[in-house]
Amino acid sequence: MRQATTGAFASRDIPRIYWALGGLILIGMLSAPQFRTLSNLANIVEQSATLAVLALGQAFVIAGGMIDLSVGQLVGLITVVACMMFEAYPGMDAAVILGCLALAALVGLVNGELLNRLKMSPLILTFGMLSVLQGVIFMLTDRSVGQVAPSIAFLSNGRLLGVPVSVILVVAVAAAAYYALQRSIFGWHLLAMGNSAESARKAGLNLFSLTRVAFLVSGLCAGIAGLLVAGRLGTGFPNAGNGLELDAIVAVVLGGAPLKGGRVSVAGIIGAVLFLGVLNNLLNLLQVPAFTQIVVKGLIVIIAILADRPGKAAQAA
Amino acid sequence: MRTDASTRSLAMRLPSLDKAAVWIVLFALVLLAGLASDAFLKLNYLTNLVRQAAPVGIVAVGVTFVMLLRGVDLSVGAIVSMSAVVCAIVMNGLADNLWLGAAAAIACGAAIGLANGLLIAYGKVSSFILTLAMSIVVYGLVQMGTGGTARGIVSPGFREVLNGRLGGALPVLVICLLLAVALGIFLQSRTHFGRSVYLIGANPEAARIAGLNVKRVTVVAYVVSGLFAGLGGLALLARTGVSGTNPGAGMEFDVLAAVVLGGTTFAGGRGGVGGTFAGIMVLVIALNLANVSGLPFAAQLTIKGIIIIVASAAHSWIGSRGGARSQH
Amino acid sequence: MRRYFMPLVAAAMIGSFTAGASVAQDMDLTKKETYDQIMTWAGEPLDTSKYKKDGDLSIGVSAGYLSNAWINFTAQSIKYEASLHPEIKELKITDAAFNPSKQAADIEDLLTSGVDAILFWPVDEKAILPVLKKAHDQGVVTINIGYNFMRDPAVTSNAYVNQWTYSEQVATEFAKSLNGKGKVFAMLPIAGSSAAVVQLAVLQDVLKNNPEMELISAEYGDWDRGKAKQLTENLLQRFPEIDGAFSPAGQMSMGIYEAFDEAGRLEELTLSPGDDYNGWTKLVAKEGKWGSVTSGLEVGREAVKQAVSILTGKPTTTAVVVPTRYLDAGDAAKLNEADRPDDWFKTDLPAEFLPQ
Repeated sequence: MRQATTGAFASRDIPRIYWALGGLILIGMLSAPQFRTLSNLANIVEQSATLAVLALGQAFVIAGGMIDLSVGQLVGLITVVACMMFEAYPGMDAAVILGCLALAALVGLVNGELLNRLKMSPLILTFGMLSVLQGVIFMLTDRSVGQVAPSIAFLSNGRLLGVPVSVILVVAVAAAAYYALQRSIFGWHLLAMGNSAESARKAGLNLFSLTRVAFLVSGLCAGIAGLLVAGRLGTGFPNAGNGLELDAIVAVVLGGAPLKGGRVSVAGIIGAVLFLGVLNNLLNLLQVPAFTQIVVKGLIVIIAILADRPGKAAQAA
Repeated sequence: MRTDASTRSLAMRLPSLDKAAVWIVLFALVLLAGLASDAFLKLNYLTNLVRQAAPVGIVAVGVTFVMLLRGVDLSVGAIVSMSAVVCAIVMNGLADNLWLGAAAAIACGAAIGLANGLLIAYGKVSSFILTLAMSIVVYGLVQMGTGGTARGIVSPGFREVLNGRLGGALPVLVICLLLAVALGIFLQSRTHFGRSVYLIGANPEAARIAGLNVKRVTVVAYVVSGLFAGLGGLALLARTGVSGTNPGAGMEFDVLAAVVLGGTTFAGGRGGVGGTFAGIMVLVIALNLANVSGLPFAAQLTIKGIIIIVASAAHSWIGSRGGARSQH
Repeated sequence: MRRYFMPLVAAAMIGSFTAGASVAQDMDLTKKETYDQIMTWAGEPLDTSKYKKDGDLSIGVSAGYLSNAWINFTAQSIKYEASLHPEIKELKITDAAFNPSKQAADIEDLLTSGVDAILFWPVDEKAILPVLKKAHDQGVVTINIGYNFMRDPAVTSNAYVNQWTYSEQVATEFAKSLNGKGKVFAMLPIAGSSAAVVQLAVLQDVLKNNPEMELISAEYGDWDRGKAKQLTENLLQRFPEIDGAFSPAGQMSMGIYEAFDEAGRLEELTLSPGDDYNGWTKLVAKEGKWGSVTSGLEVGREAVKQAVSILTGKPTTTAVVVPTRYLDAGDAAKLNEADRPDDWFKTDLPAEFLPQ
């Protein structure tokens, strides 16, 4: 156990996804003149902020060898609830933001708690939760509701000294995630659990509390992502989070973390999110037909996970 | 078709309570539905329900094998779409092309299953992420190939026969579903492949040491899953006709829910096709009850989620009590 | 602490529910007056001088989604119309696959690549406004081709099919064919979509004048033939007597028809007119009844013409309105192309612009 986790600690080399990202940027520089404009680069990072935060939250769960499929609908729920509240209580931005983050963290905590008590597969539990949350959203509204507070619109679209505010937020979240996952005892324990829950338990770790915290962080990040989406759309669209959970999982895996847990790289995740953002942008700028874009994206994910698979033997299935 | 004593005895040692759970739930649900409405227990109503479940049910049979191996197949929804679209295009409205169309659709499913299986077994990547990416590729290919419009025309006779009722009572699609389930049960309990799936699912390491070809079995399981998804696409095409380029959208999640409800959880090596069939019926009857009683769509989603969580928790609870012997 | 968990969750949920009570609606889609107002707006002259551009034009199309036959045919007619205008040197089409965030990113990318006008189908009318504002601030022309009329400073113009008139033509002919009496159900598109809201409102409006007609159920078939069939099967089990089905979308009407047919109750069924979906017009030709209301497929071509008018500084109105026409069974049957697939629309596009 110790050996494996120190391996994760010691990996200071550049995550492999950055080679792909570099290659993509080079292609962009050479082939699309509009690509290298500052405003385009700012667009890309702004477009990627939501996914970055969501993927960083998912990283905690995946590091522990679990998965959280409920985050996409949680983003949708927070987007809807936030916009309703902003409209109902104008001027009380701070309270609404805190309330939304608390709600999101609570949903994450419920996930973790249910998992501890029911001892079931996290995939199934959070898949069930996905459906439950979707139902809750549609009970609240079946169409776009409310509006967004100026503070949140600024968070998503504003600039501070020319730097997008959302980027500053992502950097802060990433720094916190890096410290928690790759520099703290908590992260060490979480990765140990991901490597082998059995040996982690034997080593005396409290798996229940690790699970709870991992899901709480995942929920909290979904809350922040939900606010970012609300700021970008300006309204509470009930389907705003559809499928985002899968994008987040793909980003974590492209960032070099296997789904069975035990290994994770915050830098890799940021690289993967940027890679996906640049890819979308370039496919649009190079005028690749819409349907071809879909195939290209799917193939690239397959190639990337094949290229980045762990050297040691994985589960057969 | 080896009848190895040790493999057979393992299959028999599976906890029986675990297997019975979903049937008990199904029985209770039928009873409840019967009490709620006297129309429910009429043969016509029941066969209609089963017929609605045919496409999802057929797909779920195949996915059961993958999940017995602790894997998952998220590409089946996209395969169903591809199968239905390809079949109609190849048929092109001509009676002569009927079998060719069906064969092309099934071949497409099997080919994608083969790609999944090879990449998972030999590429050693997570089945979740691989089949997720594969579903994106397949969806994109269908859109590219059709330009966004389902251009096919079904052969005359195909839908008429499959939508008919045998002897005026038993819908042909219900027979198809039952045949698929029977085939699945045969594969799972009467073939070397089926027994290997249980052994590998229960303990991959021990199975490898015992000399089982884990990789080959894995590949075959994904081919089986793709094949049944291809058949499910044909059933969907028969039921609804040409209906857009993505008729199977989201079906993978209904299938996943049904398989888990049926007792094939991610623990591996536990559950089976029979349970999956019961799981499908539980979902269909529960949602039909919700629908007929006029429950709003939002409440139905929530109920579906709760059913999945509760059923799966119940399985793991029963498994941890009665299934201790199946652990190694 | 742990035992307070569930109560806390419940409280949070209830809290969010009560907050949702006040929902403002900008345009009331369920009132006929709204549409009269829209038609007045549509006729107002549009000052095109500030958008006038010399030289080549580049046009972007942001589709909320493309994987649907109607949208697909509209996209093809946009390509065709663009090919008729030599000044249009580029046409770029993006697909947001139902994701409003992706649509915002797509439009930003279109702006980056320097388009002069953006034609769009919104995933959601409200969620697209912030990015449209960006486009507007950069002087880019924005033209809505979506289901709803959009009146906002960020939307330059609309190419519009009046959905009230369309649904009214369907509902009126339906009531006529039932002689104003009977038990009917409505097969509507996606729950909560503006299409579903409008169609139901119109039907209820028409039912007011036909007191002997009773609406027994409103179902949401998601524009999906299979789902419509399944919902109808359930209704057939529930109601021993059904006289008719209001279903303005042809592909859902086909699902209804099959369910009645398989239940052996086809002679009970009177269907409302559908649209110009080929599978439906085939069915009309076969049955010799029921008719169609054209769905306004020309809207794509009109949107391109409007973009060119605005960018070349020609006088035009705030919106172009594409009319819909009722066709009786005989005329609707003439639309059907027996050798074409069901998932197809009758158009006058040249062969090279038909979906490949």
